[in-house]
Amino acid sequence: MSTPLIRADGLSVGFNIGKGLFNRFTLKAVDNVTIHIEKGSFFGLVGESGSGKTTLGRALLKAVPITGGTAHYSDGEVEYDLEKITKEQLRDYRKRAQLIFQDPYAALSPRMTVRDIIAEPLEVMRLTRNREETDERVREIAAKCRLNLEHLRRFPHAFSGGQRQRISIARALVSDPKFVVADESVAALDVSIQADVLNLLKQLQKDLGLTFMFISHDLSVVAHTCDYVAVMYLGRLVETAPTRKLFAAPRHPYTKALFSAIPSLDPDDRGKAQKLEGEIPSPTNQPPGCKFHTRCVHAVDRCNVEEPLLEADGTGHEVACHRWKELLGTV
Amino acid sequence: MSALIEVENLTLSFRTDEGLVTAVEDVSFRLDRGEVMGLVGESGSGKSVTAKSLMHLNARNAVYAPGSRITLHTETGPLDVLSLRRTADLKVVRGGAISMIFQEPMASFAPAITIGKQMVEQLQLHSDMSKREARAISVEMLDRVGISDASRRFDQYAFELSGGMRQRAMIAMALSTKPALLIADEPTTALDVTIQAQVIDLMKDLVDEFRMGIIFITHDLGVVAQTCDRVNVMYLGRLIEEGPVREVIANPKHPYTQGLIAALPKLDDLDAPLTPVPGDIPSPLERPSGCVFHTRCSQIVGPECRADLPRDTRIDATHQVACHIYREVAE
Amino acid sequence: MTETPETFAEAARAANERGDQSAKEAYFTASQRQLIWARFKKQRSAMIAGIILLLMILSGIFAPFLSPYDPTVAGRNKDYLNGAPTIPQFCDKNGCSLRPFLHTIERVRSIETNFRWVEQVNEDERRYVQFFVEGAPYKILGFIPAQTRLFGMDKGFIHLFGTDAAGKDIFSRTLHAIWTSLQVGSIGVFIAFFLALIIGGVSGYYGGWIDGVIQMITDAVRTVPAIPLFMAVAAFMPPELSAEERFFYISLILGFIGWPTLARRVRTHLLTERNQEYVLAAQLSGASSGHVIRRHLLPSFTSYIIVDLVISFPYMVLSETALSFIGLGLKDPVSSLGVMLQNATSADVMLNYQWYFIPVIFFIVLVMAFVFVGDGLRDAADPYSDTHK
Repeated sequence: MSTPLIRADGLSVGFNIGKGLFNRFTLKAVDNVTIHIEKGSFFGLVGESGSGKTTLGRALLKAVPITGGTAHYSDGEVEYDLEKITKEQLRDYRKRAQLIFQDPYAALSPRMTVRDIIAEPLEVMRLTRNREETDERVREIAAKCRLNLEHLRRFPHAFSGGQRQRISIARALVSDPKFVVADESVAALDVSIQADVLNLLKQLQKDLGLTFMFISHDLSVVAHTCDYVAVMYLGRLVETAPTRKLFAAPRHPYTKALFSAIPSLDPDDRGKAQKLEGEIPSPTNQPPGCKFHTRCVHAVDRCNVEEPLLEADGTGHEVACHRWKELLGTV
Repeated sequence: MSALIEVENLTLSFRTDEGLVTAVEDVSFRLDRGEVMGLVGESGSGKSVTAKSLMHLNARNAVYAPGSRITLHTETGPLDVLSLRRTADLKVVRGGAISMIFQEPMASFAPAITIGKQMVEQLQLHSDMSKREARAISVEMLDRVGISDASRRFDQYAFELSGGMRQRAMIAMALSTKPALLIADEPTTALDVTIQAQVIDLMKDLVDEFRMGIIFITHDLGVVAQTCDRVNVMYLGRLIEEGPVREVIANPKHPYTQGLIAALPKLDDLDAPLTPVPGDIPSPLERPSGCVFHTRCSQIVGPECRADLPRDTRIDATHQVACHIYREVAE
Repeated sequence: MTETPETFAEAARAANERGDQSAKEAYFTASQRQLIWARFKKQRSAMIAGIILLLMILSGIFAPFLSPYDPTVAGRNKDYLNGAPTIPQFCDKNGCSLRPFLHTIERVRSIETNFRWVEQVNEDERRYVQFFVEGAPYKILGFIPAQTRLFGMDKGFIHLFGTDAAGKDIFSRTLHAIWTSLQVGSIGVFIAFFLALIIGGVSGYYGGWIDGVIQMITDAVRTVPAIPLFMAVAAFMPPELSAEERFFYISLILGFIGWPTLARRVRTHLLTERNQEYVLAAQLSGASSGHVIRRHLLPSFTSYIIVDLVISFPYMVLSETALSFIGLGLKDPVSSLGVMLQNATSADVMLNYQWYFIPVIFFIVLVMAFVFVGDGLRDAADPYSDTHK
């Protein structure tokens, strides 16, 4: 295996909350996370709101400061230590790593034409020499994102959600990045459009050799797009595995609960969902031991005090649970 | 079973700066007591507008076409909802016979009033209860929807509760007046899957207990499959297919319904390609002629799709569809 | 609301039915500003107010041309003090004429009238109104010299709105007063806006403790009551100041107390705009603060700022008027709406010289026009007034 494109080891992101000298405390949004994202892969990151998945994605883009551990980017041309990255390196990294937003309405300035929106990164990073070159590049990427080139003169208000999201994608890809974080990029779209955008992302990944980090709360979407999935809970990774392995036999009780909570299309499945009691605790008030023990039906005394570490089984499937072996085969 | 509410030829437009925009066109349906009906459609399909008109609750620029009729069968006899003008008359409908819960629970709680005070006020508005009785009932309802420590929560503000708790409190408030009809407008969309499962479960219990009619608005067919008895599919303000949930999901007739189901990522077959419904939902300003779906339809049968509105065709006693494909079958 | 297809969108709809793509494209490629204008045009009251406002501004600019006399003592009619308006007429008992004329008015006093001045109209003597007459020289906008005035008399004077105690023509004074008040307002608004943009901009863009400190200062300034401050400044202002200097200081004061409200709006707008995802998107593309401000933040609020300016304008005019009215602002030789208003306060005026109130009507119309245009612009620019249906 080659060097992974993104290598995060023990990565933590904390935010200082509160004012004054005495009630200052740190909120650990991402806590000691180790992930390796291989070049050309579609890496899924799953979790509920408050799990820290968005923060992890932004930390890898250097949009929030890394407070612990290390993160490296290496695409064969350059290698950056994201924690100690210099200003010049960061300028170059911005070209190589991009973000696609969730809300296609908020992410496009209503005052710019589609052409100007897509061209903005080129102009800001001075990647093209003149207007003609910019236009050419914009048209090229817009065509790849299946945008009507006639529409480049229009303003965003002329477009529907799906079209806006394609504009958003074109803007993210115009600087020819290697690594793209897609943060809930289909969550705001209607089902009928969602599949279209997912297919487009997969197509672009193949055509342009991109590496995606796909952040989503929706396991069924992740299942259809990603090669590799990591499940987060309260800032921690609880399970990581190649998609097929994870979906064939999830090991962590939380992953299992997530699966069974997806509303099935079969009306006969009513009441079969394994209910998870309670809600995700506040990140400012984390439980001791296994973070999940407050909601876990299988929790034992050990879970309340000792935090489980990620355990690898040699097949690329890792899980952080004291009892996963005992629970194999249960729902 | 007796009818609870009947909607006949509901046509509703909005007067906007861009002209008269049709939101709902010629919608007719009936809901029986104790029945759960799903109203499914994408954003812009007019499902929320339809639901709001049941309470005569649309914005002031709404224009109801003559011939639109909504009849609510109350204990004291049938009531023509659209003819109500005075606040006192509307009170019987809004919050009295019909309650509504929303996607964003924060929006239905006043931020500066405790949840309990708001519930008591609402109860007193719709009955001649004393404050003490109202309080007792409110606490009981909060307890009933699974809010632990209900008498303490009673004195809290909405922002002090977590998202799932707020949703429960909103349901408790909506049900405290014992409405005959509950309109649930995307009540689980903003929630995490695990919480969504809890809320769906709660709603099912409540239907069994209170025997009220529910109109469940959602874009998620999975949620419909898990909650509803019957489903109405809407597209661009028109009802295009109606039938029992089991029947519509297992055997969809309208190309749009078929497309919606095909677009859902399925967990049992990860290799199945995602098939989007082609194209985008047209802007309300460009309402297609003929069948409203013809601009995206892959099964056009002839020029009549572009020219004529398809009539409702019965597939069997309970299942009907508005599509030209089935016209010959019927004739 | 009118049902005529005026906006781009309706045109787009109509065009769609005809299969014509160009009008639809016009809507889709319309910028925010064009959309705001299209929405503004649909509001009849704002459009009417806008036209009135435009007319008033133009009449202010061309006041010297439109008015027959100088508004100062130089143009006074010393034989017709506190004179009633003289309205040109076309017909009298001696027949009609195409050219409007006035009768000569003679003022006499005798024992019959208790020795008060009484006007006697000499109906046999006609004086005709002339157009484009050469009058006293003046400068349009202060630098274009001219001598032609729109109208005048072949002999004697014409006073459409009457004259004041010094014999100055109230019509000429009113037109000049509009211009003076607009000038004071503009300078005041400009200073207030300049300060607001810098202070609110710094506060909103940087946030954090800088924002906290600036907001404290802003609040402190806001709590200073206006009238006592005016009085203190008036007491401080040397009485020997010339009219121009006084004028300048008044504008300055208005600017310096007018900024906090505007600054607060600029700040609020920046704070919300700064957190928009498209701003983050630009930052993640490596955009500098300068680029973000230039490309996203400034354009995002130009329309709001214009609205704010228009809305705050009448307050400036009002403040100027209030100041002059209580005798702390501009003084009589200068013609401003406030001065005109103050002249109309005496009991004598109310009983005998009601034409002093004519400028008051202009003042009310001017303020109302600003308010209506401002409201119309705000409604047109506010995306939340949209019914996204």
